[in-house]
Amino acid sequence: MTQPFRLPAGGCLVDRARPLGFEYDGVRYAGYAGDTLASALLANGVHLTSRSFKYHRPRGIFSAGTEEPNALVQLARGARTEPNVRATTLELYEGLVAASQNCWPSVRLDVGAINDRMSRFLPAGFYYKTFMWPPTPAWWLRYEHVIRRAAGMGRASTEPDPDRYEHRHAHCDVLVIGGGLSGLAAARAAASSGARTILCDENPWWGGGVSGDGRTIDDLAAAQWIARAIEELGAQPDVTLLPRTTAFGYYDDNLVGAVERVADHLAAPLPHSPRQRFWMIRAKTVVLASGAHERGIVYANNDLPGTLLASAAHTYVTRYGVKPGKRAIVFTNNDGAYSDAFALRDAGVEIAAIVDVRPESRVSGSLPAQAREGGLAVIGNSVVVGAHGKRHVASVDIAPLDGGPAKRVACDLVCVSGGWNPAVHLFSQARGKLRYDDGVAAFVPDVSPMPVLPVGAARGSFDLSAALVEGHAAGVAAAQRAGIDALVSLAAPRAVLKSIGALQALWAVSADASGGKRFVDLQNDVTANDIALAGREGYQAVEHLKRYTTLGMGTDQGKTSNIIGLALMAEQLGVSIPKVGTTTFRPPYTPITLGSVPGAECGPHVEPTRYSAMHAWHAERGARFVNAGLWKRPHSYPRAGESEDDAANREALNVRANVGVVDVSTLGKIELQGRDVGEFLNRVYINRWDNLAVHRCRYGVMLRDDGMVMDDGTTSRLAAMHYLMTTTTVNAVKVMQHIEYLLQAVWPDLEVHATSVTEQWSAAALSGPKTRELVAAIVDIDVSNAAFPFLAVGSCRVRSQQGDMPARLFRMSYSGELAYEIHVPADRGQDLWAAIMAAGEPFGLMPYGTEAMSTLRIEKGHVVVGAEADGRTTAADLGLGKLVNANKWCVGKPLLGRPGLVAPDRWQLVGLTALDGARMPRGGKLVADPDRPPPNPMQGHVTSWCFSPHCNAWIALALLENGRARHGEQLWAVSPLADARVRVQIGSPCFVDPEGERLRA
Amino acid sequence: MPESESRDIGSTLPGHYGGAATGTVIGAATIAAAWNLQGDPARSSVVADAERLFGASLPLDPNTARHTQGLLVLWMGPRSWLLIDRGAARPPASLADFEARRDDLNARGSALFDVSASRVAFTVRGERAPSVLAANCPLDVDARVFLPGRCAQSLFGRVTALYYRHQQAPAVTVMVSRSLAVDVWHGLCLAAASDGYDVALPAAFDAV
Repeated sequence: MTQPFRLPAGGCLVDRARPLGFEYDGVRYAGYAGDTLASALLANGVHLTSRSFKYHRPRGIFSAGTEEPNALVQLARGARTEPNVRATTLELYEGLVAASQNCWPSVRLDVGAINDRMSRFLPAGFYYKTFMWPPTPAWWLRYEHVIRRAAGMGRASTEPDPDRYEHRHAHCDVLVIGGGLSGLAAARAAASSGARTILCDENPWWGGGVSGDGRTIDDLAAAQWIARAIEELGAQPDVTLLPRTTAFGYYDDNLVGAVERVADHLAAPLPHSPRQRFWMIRAKTVVLASGAHERGIVYANNDLPGTLLASAAHTYVTRYGVKPGKRAIVFTNNDGAYSDAFALRDAGVEIAAIVDVRPESRVSGSLPAQAREGGLAVIGNSVVVGAHGKRHVASVDIAPLDGGPAKRVACDLVCVSGGWNPAVHLFSQARGKLRYDDGVAAFVPDVSPMPVLPVGAARGSFDLSAALVEGHAAGVAAAQRAGIDALVSLAAPRAVLKSIGALQALWAVSADASGGKRFVDLQNDVTANDIALAGREGYQAVEHLKRYTTLGMGTDQGKTSNIIGLALMAEQLGVSIPKVGTTTFRPPYTPITLGSVPGAECGPHVEPTRYSAMHAWHAERGARFVNAGLWKRPHSYPRAGESEDDAANREALNVRANVGVVDVSTLGKIELQGRDVGEFLNRVYINRWDNLAVHRCRYGVMLRDDGMVMDDGTTSRLAAMHYLMTTTTVNAVKVMQHIEYLLQAVWPDLEVHATSVTEQWSAAALSGPKTRELVAAIVDIDVSNAAFPFLAVGSCRVRSQQGDMPARLFRMSYSGELAYEIHVPADRGQDLWAAIMAAGEPFGLMPYGTEAMSTLRIEKGHVVVGAEADGRTTAADLGLGKLVNANKWCVGKPLLGRPGLVAPDRWQLVGLTALDGARMPRGGKLVADPDRPPPNPMQGHVTSWCFSPHCNAWIALALLENGRARHGEQLWAVSPLADARVRVQIGSPCFVDPEGERLRA
Repeated sequence: MPESESRDIGSTLPGHYGGAATGTVIGAATIAAAWNLQGDPARSSVVADAERLFGASLPLDPNTARHTQGLLVLWMGPRSWLLIDRGAARPPASLADFEARRDDLNARGSALFDVSASRVAFTVRGERAPSVLAANCPLDVDARVFLPGRCAQSLFGRVTALYYRHQQAPAVTVMVSRSLAVDVWHGLCLAAASDGYDVALPAAFDAV
């Protein structure tokens, strides 16, 4: 018979006109649209859904919401497979496939159950005490291998995530977290005043935890009132309704993080729709209507399947039309469970007894009488001491609270209620203080410095009428705080006030004769004995208790167990519960998917990518790209059948023989204007700048405050008060910030204005002996050596097929060859490149990339930030000491003179040539004797290396102790990691044209 | 037009993309010319100079803009403004004499930088423009807060962006560095895809 536990009628959330099929543990079942996996399983009489984490005990559905500790399932969805999904919140869809976790070969028969028999060897903290013998690393690694296989729950997908996740910012006057009755009242009030309101709830439906007790709201049945409130809210343009949205974290300045599950209830997201949306909501005021979680009472074997929270059993009946069992015991210490019992009875569940911890005199009003009239037995002043059953509860033992013989009663359902915990997580994250309320035996919100207003059950107000009034008042207050003048025309929703009797706190029943385990944290298998053990071993602070026992560290974060654990610790220590206190509440409130956090910033978009204007040409030519900061730069342009190394060598050779062109658009460019630019440059560079002529450029080095080299580049004087500075690609932003800081904070009186123009100009650098002829073919000025000597700068126009364009021309050389650099406005960059390529044909022009550029500069001994200038070297170390002008101050000058930076044995820049035709090893260290066992004194290290086509050998730049005095010596470059050793000759770092004749040609 | 057009989200070809909703249009806006004017109103004559050289009245309140004689002037800082030439013709007439104007300003302690090619601009039109932008912009872009004729510097995702709400039409233009154009266009399209959007051909920067 299909769905044997589905009630013939009822269940306000399920749509019986839409049956659905699903599969669990390989068996096909039927359910309805609106079911969760848990409600559908219960309708089919399936309680056993998993094996517990440590002891592999059979476990069943415990709750009806996000606080579920037991029923975590593996949801199979191909690449979307997800472990640890709560069956109680997983919305059923057609074709859903799920399975039990943490069991093998099946949930009914699990070999891991042996852990339960071995439990005396596996108490809390066992890993500090066991697996210690034999005491050798080899044995530990064997144990570790087994433990690692056994640990964890569920399996993550190993395929790429096929879904898309969006981010969304939102601003509002009032954010109401929680769409239960108090939240709805608050949203109605705020929205009616015209406030921009956002209302979110983790469920797909509205109304929260209200279990109908027959009271009306504004003379409407609760369901009707809720439906009308939502309809009215949805019709208002300034209200955003976010169902299926969990507010998971409360951050500074009222920033709330929330995840909207846009498509998780579907088999797959709709086209163009994200799977989930990550909201960053900035609210002027937050109304926290996050509700409360029911907790149980601890007794022996309280973890058997068929044990549910009383309100959850009620929820399955009224919301899903499901009977969670046939014969129930209700175990409670408060009034609330009575209405749960009545609902079960009305659904045809036989109530064997209501076991109430309190004497009958403390149960309010006529509840016991009502119960008896309805045919229910009420046993006051009593407790359930233990439950019995193999894979499902079959009976319980009931005994008087103060001790005495126990009576066994048969049942297949235990509904337990130990009280309610307000969901104070977000309030705490909002730096809210908590207060322990003896009346409700729970922590309730006290004060917070943030504009957050807890209402309803989240505040410890469990009565319907109070919740409505509080919610309404909070909505009004929040709207006023946002400066909304309009009066709130709505009156607060009215419901009859019902007084709730006091509860009698009982956290755990004493151990029974059977010694059955009494579970506090169901998810992590933490028992009352574990808590006592922790206390005896000295782990008495609540944060130690948590970590030693793992209480509250599961995916449910102890929502039903934390307070029980700390209350037991308090009892053991003989202190009050507030003295023990709570552990820190941290986001996320419930698990969020990793995918939602980066949103679109994953894969190729994990960082923004910057492209030069000539990128399309490079790509079409087959360039291989590398990342330079956020930029994509061509590494080389391999031809068919050519390796990248061969391409780079070919390109470098061609530069020295003919002419090459490289895209240098990515270099940082800063324009400076003003009367005092020369003086400013004097202060930031080591050399002198106030004597730079117009239409000339100069190489400069900048230091950090501590005297180390920070960056280098060239600066050109374009006009009397107009300069252009270049920096390295990776330091462009850093240097701009450095300049801004100096101008704004240190020398505000200097008349200097600066702006970044990195993006304004595309730039191509041409170098090689035939460069001049090529440049002359495309520009309209005289570029002869007489008219445009080395380090000259000028304006010109470049001819291209798409029309001519204004340009700047610079004669400076990175490669050591005759070279010109052309800059054009970036929107004409591709035209410039096309013009160069066309004009270059007769001269053997080849494009070259960063690899060839690197070879050329290493051959020339030009230092590079990051390699030679690695933050530990001075200008003098790098052979640039003569550039430091002795007669002026500059940033870094004072500390440049400290003894450590002028010591004679500092490592200095040298060139290395590998002997014997060997390949320079990666990351080579310079030593005298490669065979000396460690520690082998290192005299220096290699900073850059390449194969030099010019020298036909592997060469390198290196830093070597007292290097400048050691030209001609031989040493060994060794790499212990690569097990390589090469004999090298020390020499000048400049391997090509040391007199600089080529670049001055 | 190639036979097989890419109808993927992120394409620049005109047409409808994504969900079925209509009314949201995104397209590139051409910046004819843009200059960054820097000067200290308290210690120089930059305000008077701007009036004289450009016919422009510099907005002194943060995040405000002024229109004047074919120029849109955006406040960028207490001592910095972005002058955008809205003309459709290329090159625009006002670009002439740039160097003369720059030298004039330099002599009086201010500065003028040509940043015409530095930024690209994308305009999002339609009532849903705020929610499209909200995917990447942390500012409150509701039209009642980010008022018509205002500008703001913020982020688009993780990159610096300059936003301008058009004076009359329900539209917002976002300007970012040219090298980031591809990424930002893609981000805009993704943000608009759920509801649906149309791509328009590039048009002149129309700040009206």
